[in-house]
Parts: sequence; C-alpha cells; structure tokens
Amino acid sequence: MKLPRCSGPENVIGVSRRRLLQRAGMGFGAVALSDMLSRDPMAFGVEGGAGGMLQRTHFPAKAKRVIYLFQSGGPSHLDTFDYKPLLNEKHGEQLPDSVRQGQRLTGMSGNQTSLPLAGSPFEWKQHGQCGAWVSSILPHTAKIVDDLCIVRSLHTEAINHDPAITFFQTGSQISGRPSIGSWLNYGLGTDNENLPAFVVLITKDKGGQPLYARLWGSGFLPSRYQGIRFRADENAVLYLKNPDGVDRGSRRLMLDRLRELHEIQRDATGDAEIDTRISQYEMAYRMQSSVPEATDLSNEPESVKKLYGPDVEKPGSFAYNCLMARRLAERGVKFVQLYHQGWDQHGGLKGGISRQCQETDQPSAALVQDLKQRGMLDDTLVVWGGEFGRTNYSQGKLNGDQFGRDHHPRCFSMWFAGGGSKPGTTIGETDEYGYNIVSDPVHVFDFQATLLFLLGIDHERLTFRFQGRRFRLTDVHGKLVKGMLA
Amino acid sequence: MLNLPQFSIRFRSRFLPTVGSLLVAAFSGSLHAAGSETAKVNFNRDIRPILSDKCFFCHGPDKENQKADLRLDIRDSAIEAGAIVPSSVGDSTLLHRIAENDPDEVMPPPEAKLGSLTPTEQDLLKRWIAEGAEYQDHWSFVPVPEQVPVPDAGNGWARNEIDHFVAASLDERGLKPAPETERERWIRRVSFDLTGLPPMLEEIDAFLADQSNQAYEKVVDRLLDSSAYGERMAIDWLDQARYADTFGYQADRLMHVWPWRDWVIKAYNDNLPYNDFITWQIAGDLLPNATRDQQLATTFNRLHRQTNEGGSINEEFRVEYVNDRVTTVGTAFLGLTLECSRCHDHKYDPIKMRDFYSLTAFFNNIDESGLYSHFTETAPTPALPLFEGDQEKQLAEARKLVADRERAYAEELEQARKRFETASPVDPKKPEPVFSFNFDDGKASGANRSVDGKVGKAIEFTGDDPQALGDVKTADFSRTDPFSFSLWLKPAEHKSRMVVFHHSRAAEDSAFRGYELMLYEGKPTFSLIHFWPGDAIRVQSTEPLPLNEWTHLTITYDGSSRADGVTIYRNGKADGKLEIVRDKLTRDIKHRKEWGDSEAGKIKLELAGRFRDIGFGGGVIDEFAVFDRELSPVEAAAMAGAKGDFSQADRFRDFALNRDDSLREKRAAVLEARVAENTIAGDVRQIMTMRDMPGQRPAYVLFRGGYDQHREEVGPGVIPAILPFPNEAPRNRLGLAEWLTEEQNPLVPRVAANRLWMLTFSRGLVGTPEDFGSQGEPPSHPELLDWLARRFMDSGWNVKETLRTIVLSATYRQSSIPEDSKTWSEDPQNRWLARGPRHRLPAEQVRDNALAIGGLLVDKVGGQSVNPYELAVSFKPLPPDKGDGLYRRSLYTFWKRTAPPPVMVTFDATSREVCTPKRESTATPLQALVLMNGPQYVEAARALAERLWKEMPESATDDDRLVRAFRLCTSRHPDASELQVLKQLLSEQREHFTAQAGEAAKLLKVGNRAADPSIPSVELAAWCVASEALLNYDETYTKR
Repeated sequence: MKLPRCSGPENVIGVSRRRLLQRAGMGFGAVALSDMLSRDPMAFGVEGGAGGMLQRTHFPAKAKRVIYLFQSGGPSHLDTFDYKPLLNEKHGEQLPDSVRQGQRLTGMSGNQTSLPLAGSPFEWKQHGQCGAWVSSILPHTAKIVDDLCIVRSLHTEAINHDPAITFFQTGSQISGRPSIGSWLNYGLGTDNENLPAFVVLITKDKGGQPLYARLWGSGFLPSRYQGIRFRADENAVLYLKNPDGVDRGSRRLMLDRLRELHEIQRDATGDAEIDTRISQYEMAYRMQSSVPEATDLSNEPESVKKLYGPDVEKPGSFAYNCLMARRLAERGVKFVQLYHQGWDQHGGLKGGISRQCQETDQPSAALVQDLKQRGMLDDTLVVWGGEFGRTNYSQGKLNGDQFGRDHHPRCFSMWFAGGGSKPGTTIGETDEYGYNIVSDPVHVFDFQATLLFLLGIDHERLTFRFQGRRFRLTDVHGKLVKGMLA
Repeated sequence: MLNLPQFSIRFRSRFLPTVGSLLVAAFSGSLHAAGSETAKVNFNRDIRPILSDKCFFCHGPDKENQKADLRLDIRDSAIEAGAIVPSSVGDSTLLHRIAENDPDEVMPPPEAKLGSLTPTEQDLLKRWIAEGAEYQDHWSFVPVPEQVPVPDAGNGWARNEIDHFVAASLDERGLKPAPETERERWIRRVSFDLTGLPPMLEEIDAFLADQSNQAYEKVVDRLLDSSAYGERMAIDWLDQARYADTFGYQADRLMHVWPWRDWVIKAYNDNLPYNDFITWQIAGDLLPNATRDQQLATTFNRLHRQTNEGGSINEEFRVEYVNDRVTTVGTAFLGLTLECSRCHDHKYDPIKMRDFYSLTAFFNNIDESGLYSHFTETAPTPALPLFEGDQEKQLAEARKLVADRERAYAEELEQARKRFETASPVDPKKPEPVFSFNFDDGKASGANRSVDGKVGKAIEFTGDDPQALGDVKTADFSRTDPFSFSLWLKPAEHKSRMVVFHHSRAAEDSAFRGYELMLYEGKPTFSLIHFWPGDAIRVQSTEPLPLNEWTHLTITYDGSSRADGVTIYRNGKADGKLEIVRDKLTRDIKHRKEWGDSEAGKIKLELAGRFRDIGFGGGVIDEFAVFDRELSPVEAAAMAGAKGDFSQADRFRDFALNRDDSLREKRAAVLEARVAENTIAGDVRQIMTMRDMPGQRPAYVLFRGGYDQHREEVGPGVIPAILPFPNEAPRNRLGLAEWLTEEQNPLVPRVAANRLWMLTFSRGLVGTPEDFGSQGEPPSHPELLDWLARRFMDSGWNVKETLRTIVLSATYRQSSIPEDSKTWSEDPQNRWLARGPRHRLPAEQVRDNALAIGGLLVDKVGGQSVNPYELAVSFKPLPPDKGDGLYRRSLYTFWKRTAPPPVMVTFDATSREVCTPKRESTATPLQALVLMNGPQYVEAARALAERLWKEMPESATDDDRLVRAFRLCTSRHPDASELQVLKQLLSEQREHFTAQAGEAAKLLKVGNRAADPSIPSVELAAWCVASEALLNYDETYTKR
C-alpha cells in the first residue's frame, strides 16, 4: 500500500475523475516496485557524483546524464509521430461530441461555433525495422527510429503554455518548485567540478511562446543547483571573461595575492568558511579555461559538423546547441537542457511546423547518431518533446490545408533515445481521431518518474524538506513506465 | 478553543493561569543535549519532532488519512489505543512497532519511505514513556506569556535582558561567550544590519574617538534615524511580499507597483508600529477615512503573479490569486504552511481545510479578473488613483464643475417643462443615423450568409466570422459621448454569452475595454468598460429574447458615465426592469497610447463576433444604425416601427433632447465639463489595491483545491484552533487584521520577533521562519523568543526599539570568532550564540557595498525601478541606464520575474515568485566571476582607486593609500602581513601594466563613467586591480 507524502497543493487544476482512478490503480504497480527497493536499495547502488545528496543511487543507473531537447510551444503530434488517416478522410467535418467528451478547451478556440477536423497535410510512412510511423517533415528522425522509444500517449492537465511547460519542468503548474535538472544536480552532484552540472542552451533568435528563467531555477533548493544558461558568446557563463585589459597571467597574480590575504584571515579566525572562499576563486579561475574549451567547436571534425547540418556553424542555432550538448555531456555535465521555441502553430500550421522541423530534425537525429558512434548513447538519455499536443480540429477557419491547431493536453508524442530507454519501440496509442488515449497513458509525472529511474533514482525518495514537508519532483504521483525500459 | 485537540483543553484548563511559566518550565533543561541521560525528556523539544515527522502523516490531525483510528497527536487517543501506556515501556505498542524487524509490522511502514527510527529516537521515546509520556501544547500555539522571567545568569557580562537568556543557555551547555568584538567590527556589523551599507570612515573615526558611555547607543540611533534604514528593512519585506516589477506569468508585463515599495520604505522610516503595518497592508482600505497610504498599503495583497496568457481560464487564475493572498498571510505573519490545507486538513498542525477556505473569503471579495490585459498596461481593478502634483485638486474641481453643470441642466429641464406645454406637438419620425447598414447589397464577410431580412436582406452569422462595420472614427465613442444604436436581430440559440456587436480589441484579453451589446443566456446586456470588471457600467435585461423571432433593440446612452444613463428599448418600449450589474465607470472606454494600449486608434466596430469570444452563431441581424446622440423614447419607437401612444414623459423627453435650444446649450456645457474631467481622470496613474465589492462573493471549500470543485460554502473566518475570531470584530479583512494583531495571537508576535532577530544574527531563534508549526524547528531559546515577543508588544510593536535592544546586547557585541575553536564545528550555524554573527552579505548588500566603497552610490530614496549593468545580460536583456540608474541601491533594481537580475540571483536573492522568508546562502564560483569580472565591480574598483587619489594628498605614500583602501573595504586597519601582501600585489600590477600600457587603457574603459584623466593610466590600472582584489576579499563582503 502506498503512502503519498503530501508535497503541497494540487495546482490550479481540479483533478479529473479519470486521474483519480488512475491514481487509485497506481498502488498495485508500486507495491512490487517498492518491495524490491526496500530490501536493500544501497546494495546495488552506484557511486553518486561529487556533492550530491545521494551518496549512492537507489538503483543501478542506466543513464549517467540527460540531454533534453525541449520543443517549446507544443509540437503537433498529428503531424509528426501520430498518424491519423481518419482525419484526412473526415477533413472539414465537425469534431464529434462523443470524441471531445466535454474536454475543456482553451479560451482561444473554446468559443468557436465550429470545430472542423483537420487532416495532416504531410505524407506518412513507416520506417526502420520497427516500422514506426513518421511524417515526411522529419526525414532524419525517420532514419533513426530503431534507436528511439516513441511514446504517443503522453498527457498533461495544463492547457496553456506557462502552466504546461512549468509543469513539465518542475512537476507543478505553479512556479516555485525546482526544475528537473536542479533535482538531479541536488541528488547526483557533479562529475566535473570545473563545469556546472546543469547547463541550459536556448536556440537564439526564436520568437513564439516566451521561456522563463524559473524553468531551470532551483525553486526552494539552494541556488547552486539552478541551471546555468550558456550564452552563445565568449561569456558563455555570466561574466566568465576577464575584463578588457586583464589577461590570464595578471589575473593569476591577483588571485595569488588574494589567496594570501584569505589565508592570513583564515589563520586569524579559524573559520573554515574562508577555505570555501579560496576554493570558490580557484574554481572560477579553472572555469575560465574549462568552459571556453568545452564550448569551442572549432576542433570538431568536419564529418561531425556535417552530421548536424549547416546551421551548426551559427552560434546559438539548435544544431550548434545539439553539438554543444554532446561536448558538455562528454565532459561530465549531468543535465543539458535545450529549448527550441516556435512550435505554437495556432495558424499556418503547414509552413510553420515544416520550418520548425527543418531547424531541429537533422540536429536531433545527428545528436543520437553522434552519441551512438562514440559509445555514449548507452548511458546518455536523449529526450525530445514539448509541453502538450495540438487539436485534431482547426483553430479558426479551415481552408484546405491552411489551418492551425489549438493546444491539446489529452495526448501527445515524445521520443527517448539511449540511457536505458527501449530502442525501436512505440508506446501507447490514441484513438483514430488522435484526441484521446486508448492504451498505456503516460502522465507527465510518469515521464518524470521514469526519467529519474533511468538515472538510478527512486522518484519517491529524492526529497527535500521545505516548509515542514518533504517535496519531490513528482508531487505525490508518478509511476514507472516499464514499457520504456530497455 | 473548542477546536483544540483534547489534550490541550485539559492541559489548558488546569494550567491556563500559569501557562507562561509552564512553557518556560517545559523548556527548561532543554538546553542540554537531547541525548543527555540526566535531563528529563521534553515533549516539544525531543518527542514532537519525531512523532510529527514520522507518525502524524497517518496518525495526526488529518481525519481523511487516519490509519487504524489512531491519533498520536492527542494523548488520550494514543493511550486509549494502547499505543502509549504511560510509565509502562513494556505495554506501549508504539515502542514495539518502531522496533520491529518484520516489514509488515514495523512503523513507519517501509512504503512510507521515511526510514526507520534511529536508536536515539527510539530511546528518547522509551524514556519519555517511562517518565510518564506527558504531552505539551505546541509551543507556538500558546499565547505569549504576560511576563517572562529573566534568568539569573551572565551577570557582569550581560548588557540587557537578552544576554541573561543567552548566558543561561551557554552555561547549561558549558560554553562561554566570545570576547567583545573590536569597535571597528561592531560598527561595521551594525551599519550593515540596520542600513545595509558600510560605515563611512568618518563615522568609524568618530565612534573610535567617542569614549562616552553612550557611544554605542549614539551609533545605533543615528543608523535608525537614517533613510537607509527603511531601505534595508524594505528589502527583507519585499521578499515576503513577493514584490516584483512584473506580473510573472507568460508575457510578464509591467505591474507598476513601485509606489507600494516606496510606502514600505516610508513605513519603516516612520517606525509605523508593526500591528499597524499588518493592519494597513491587510485592510488599510477598510479603515475609517482611510488615507492614501493606508489604501496603498493593501497593494501587498495584489503583488502575487498574474497571467495574461490568451485562452487562460479566468476563474482558475482568480482562485489561484486568492489562494496566494492567504498563503502569503500564512507564511509572512503566522509562520504557518496554510497551503497544506488547500486539499486536505493539515497533516501536522490544527488547520482544517475549511479554515483555509474561510480565510479565502476575506480576500475573495474584490472586483477583479483572473486575467490582466494583453492589450493594455492599465492597472487591473480594483485600482487606486495615485495623484501627482495638483492632480487631485484639479480632478476635484473638474468633478465639481460637472456636478454644477449637471445641476444647471436639471434646473433648466424644469424650466423647459413650461416651454414643452406650450410647444406644438410633433409627429414621431425616424431619426437620422451617423451611419447605418441595411445589408440589402447581399454581401457578407467570411462564411456569413445573406438571407431574407426584416426589411430586404439581412446577414446570418456563423459566429466565427465577425463582420467589421463602418468608419472606425465615427463609432469610437468616449464615456462622455451620448450615443445610440438600433437594430433588428433574431437569435437561433442562447449561450452563456454571445456577441451582438462591440467596439473593443478583444474580450478578457483586453479587459473588454470599449462598449458592447451581448446576449447573456439570451438577455440583452449593454456595457461601457474601461477595465472589466472593476471600472465599468453594465446593464442587463431580465428577460431573454425569443428564439427565431425578430426583435428590435435600441440602446441609448446619455454620456453620464452612470448605469442609469443607459436605456434598452425592446420593440420600441423601454425595458423597465434592467438589472444594474456594474455601475462604476471612472475612466474612458476609448483606447489610449499613454495607457500602453497597443492598438489605440485601430479599434473597430464589429458585428456578431470578436477575437476569441463567442459569436452570434446562427443569429441574424438587420437594419443596423448608429447615432451620435441619445435617442428619445419617441425616436426609439419610431426605429422599431412601433405605433406609440406615448406618455407625456416620453414626449417631454423627446422635446428636451431634440427641440429645446436652451437645453441643447446646457447639454453642451455639461459635455464640455465631462470631457475636461475625463481627460484629467485619465492622466492619473493607478495602482492595484484592495477594495471590497458590496456584499460578499461566495467562497467555497474547493475539493482537492480545484478551482471549479465547489463544495460547502464558507464565510470569512480564521483558524479557531489558533485563536477564535474576535467577538466584536467585523467579518472582513479588518477583522482579520484585528485577529492577527491581538496580543493573544500566539504566532504573529513570535514570528515578527524572530524576523528581527534574523535580520541581525542571520539565523532566527527559530531556524524555520516559514514554519512555526509542528514540522518546523523548535526555538533554540524559547524563553528569549517569548521575552522578545512580549517586549515587542509591550513597546507598542515598536520595530526600531526592538532592533535597538538586540544590537545593543552583549550577545550581539561578541566577536564572531568563538572563544573555543571547537564551537566552529560543533555549532556551525551559531544556534547557541557563543559568538557574534558572521554571514556573507545578502545580494543587495554585496552590490551596495561595492558602490559605497567606490563612492558611486546615488543617495536617492524611492522612485521607478532602474536598470543597472546586470540587466543587459539577464535572460531577457534590457538596456542598462546611462546615469544614476546604474548606481542606485539594489532594492531599486528592476525585477522581471521571468528573467530576474542575474547577479542578484547568483547571490541567492529569492525569485520573488512566492512569499519567501528565508534566503539560502551559497558560495559558488559563479559569484567569484561576478565580483571579478562584472562591470559594476570593475568600475567600482576603479572608482575606489580614483578616490584614493582624489581624497588624499599627492604626498600620500602607497602605504597610506593601501591602508585607506583596506579600511574603506573592511572598516579596519590592515596588519603588517596584510599590508605586505597588498604592496606586493600593487607592485606586481604596476610592473605588468608598465610593460603593457595598452592593457591599462582598456581596463580603465570598463563602465559608464570615464576614468579620471589626471591619474596616469598605468598607475590607475594597477590601483584598480589592487582595489579589485580588495573588493573580492572575503572580509569586504562578509559581515564578521
């Protein structure tokens, strides 16, 4: 029997009956798992990184690090991974009430008199040994489907971007909780003290739905666990570069004297915190060389750059960031979080989503291939996905293949590669309208629980006590998606 | 009282008169190590934390979750169930269960993932039961005793009562206080603690020279009297008030709330008593004859995040805002985690879910929307005008003129009756519109269809194709313009609401600004709106229109900004049963650039639909006409083709509106006065505040916290288990404020006293200022906390006085280096106060200190937030200011919630998303990078170097200058070894820059202020680096 530890309010959203039933049913699966764990979790734990809360992981970790390619705005599952020919047959017909089932809609299309179904304007084929369906706007991803675990049955409760993306990244629709990367940083520490354990890379010059610093914030965890955003310039880290007129040699001289001052003070006070101060400055100095080394792509062979596509030469592009992510992962960064905005196709879906795919398809596939050829894919988990899916009906007017799709929380698709995820698999199914899940639903909390599991963490036991309660990423929810495990 | 757990009723009835001394007794001996064999086990210190953390989840106050009908928070219940048999270790099943090896039997069960009880914990429970298993009321839920006896300890060392308490606890632990710190360090410490700024050299010298008995007191009084005091105190409060300059969600626009921040500074500087500080913020608007400041203070309740994300559910977010107000009150004033009770009764503390929602009823009652506007920056309602200059007077005069002229018109109307009686009657005829549409051309936009109409053709609408009409300017009416509309319409269905026509940018997304005719469940509803819902007129018919039948509607408005100025005629007859939904329109319904309206001048009149709103689907409209004047009843009837036997009153109205020159003139005069008033009113800045609506918006228990999961309705109420609602108090926020500030409220004075302690010692006597409940940390010095709380109340909630007492204590005057070096490791957090405070400065002080040292700090209190350098490299970069804005104190730094100032965040500033009473203090390499390379600090280092030249004679030696620099940074003189290091540093840098003169020039260009050209650049650069080293020196940014 499961004892949920309350970690606070249920957010702004009322819980659906469906969700309650799921929750009630969840207990059984959890029994077996927790029995297994409670025997002696430490026995097969592995060493955690330096400075992590967990001395050892709860389970043997399959993944040592994560690269999360967040596609912000809500990519349409119906035009990428979830093939629904019925929508093409019924193109222009009204969404049947029997399918909608009273689902609340956003205020953007919720007031429309007409909700015409809209078929995907793209061609669909099955690919690879596994025969996964992928639309024609993802040709590179289509080539690596045998490495992917595609989940078509994600669902969430939020219907607007801000709550939905905050939910995905922090386990709560209302901001204030630590992000996934911060939890990992807190739990697992770092494998390279000269680089942050949690790095954020954002595609430059993309419009669309805004992002918020809280998405990589540490919430109530100490701020050292927050994500560090790397900029696509010489100050990859805030004020990394010495001021003009100060070179590395003169900085070293200054730091040597500063160290002497600190040592005098430490001897006078006996305060060990001054040693911390000294090491702070030494680490900063080391970061001044380790970060530029990590972020310098100039030594990457042409063959590798070619894999990521021509955009890789543009600092801050998605391709550039994917390659950067690989380099950081190689150097022991535990969690690299990419964000690519612009998937919010309320109108002009056809052109809009095609452009998005053009920017992201090749680099995403390249990253998986690149990791694989370096033998890193086994212990690096790559995650691709957004905050929700999109409606099967047109927002606003349907004009042939000119239309848009509104937000859809009830089902959407993501993919996973490496890090102990099961390759060549497709999990979950939606109904023929691509509106409701008919098998193997995966809630956001389940995704988070599974991600932590792959890193060797029991999501119920990575907790932080704050305001009298033990908080965790998955609130009082989340179950392991066993089908996703290799 | 009745809701208290049973044990406490018994406990109280027996001991109530001496509850204070009992509490002291309960904690006495508590200062010995918990595991010590000699001391008696103390429930609150030793047992409650174990039971709370490991047992209460299933065996605590939350009824829904109680397992095996066992409650361990109530002694009788625990005894009845056999879990505890007082004095009988062998019979108490609790002890067996926690020691079990069988996973099916052991408590807590393995699935709870709480781990098992440690041998020490088990032993404590065993001893406690052996000693009789006495319970105690939770320490923070007992009122602060009337008198707290001061222990007889620390004589000779103590300077005031605080020290006797501290000495008693040190004695019990066998510790000695640290020696008195040097005067330089004390003045530095107290200057940061009371003003957030370092002492100036002259201030240090004066203090060193002052051998009088009052030397310390004089410093403290000077600091408390400086305006910097209020600034320092405000920073602490801004964290709790979750103050920011932007709304926080999605688009994250400007909130324009800095006048509230300035009020906070002023309140501290005026030493507003803390009980008033609470009352004004919670309910200032409800005080009799509330002053502007009292109303402004209530902005506190509106500082939570708000959204304008299109498509959001209004009610979902409104409920979230109300909840945020309640949880903020819980955290900031009560030190309780009320949010736990949003979904269920609190698992650890006696707070029912019902209590939480009763509290929401206090904050539920303002006329607000869940979405602020996407298309305007106008302050969401309710809003308070913030008059500047003589605006208030001007507006009052303008309003008086309107009233005068309206009276003159009314008088003239009486005169006109005589003229009407003698005037010859006129046959009604159709008035001329400014423009009209008969739709007979058969054209329709989008998928709308031309169909047979009332007369000729009409348009049938899809509901998804709004049809724009006419000349934009002709229909762009102000709230001062009289106007009328006339149309035939035929609805095909009724919905929650449907747009018939409107002149606005959008619905919720633009706060509905403009005017609109809607059908709410078929009921014609006309509105003029500045900002929905708090600044608008809305009138609504009580009868729905018939379906699939033609109805004629005429809407007339007289330009009065009053609901009774709107008339709705149905088929030519005035609807006599209009419901007034809103009647408060104080500003214009037109869009204005100055209000941040993004589409001013481009708003269209549209039929049958609106951006993201519900259109007139299936409905038909014909013969649509617009008039730039108020039609009379006679004309309205004519438009409807109704043959009227008109009343005398109707005929007179027609005469008055159309056929009397004298009235026409008077109307023009009224209009002129209204236009003037409208202009002035529109120029006044506004800020969100609290203002209750008439009546009470119903509040409900929300099942699992879901915004639409209404259960039992609740009225305004408090947490009776803490303290019952005061008998005589009004059931509104004012009553809540009274409840909070009653002396019997056990939490508020303790939470406040703990905060004041925290401000000076960096750590509270209670280490969890956010949680004084069962799961929080018990106080290190309970009697001292009670004494401080009592003293605080007895002083009239005097904040300055209380701080003064704290900083003048011997405890505060201790060196931060402990007498026994073991204390560093044994008490790293300084809970036992065997040394003075030592703490890295908070984010704001780190920066302000550097600015002060460089002589750059701009001494100006209040005003709009500013953009220092760091905003140029924030996640959403903003151009930095050019002049003073770069050098203001950090509490004025512009705070965008979705992209907070990156340096502040690096130094552990809170996110300002939610009420946060405690900051973490971390040490990271990123902080070192900021201090070494950030332009603010490089420039400050150069400014410091320049000071050494400017403020010292040319004859000054390197030593002289280094000593001065060191003093400016640390407030003390360097010793010989320190000076030696600095000299070496300087000479190395001189050598370096002499060899690379070009580098020197580059370094001196950092920052907005030009370098002093009179100082040779190589020399200045070398001094700049030396100064940088000092700014990076631990003692410069650590309070020691």
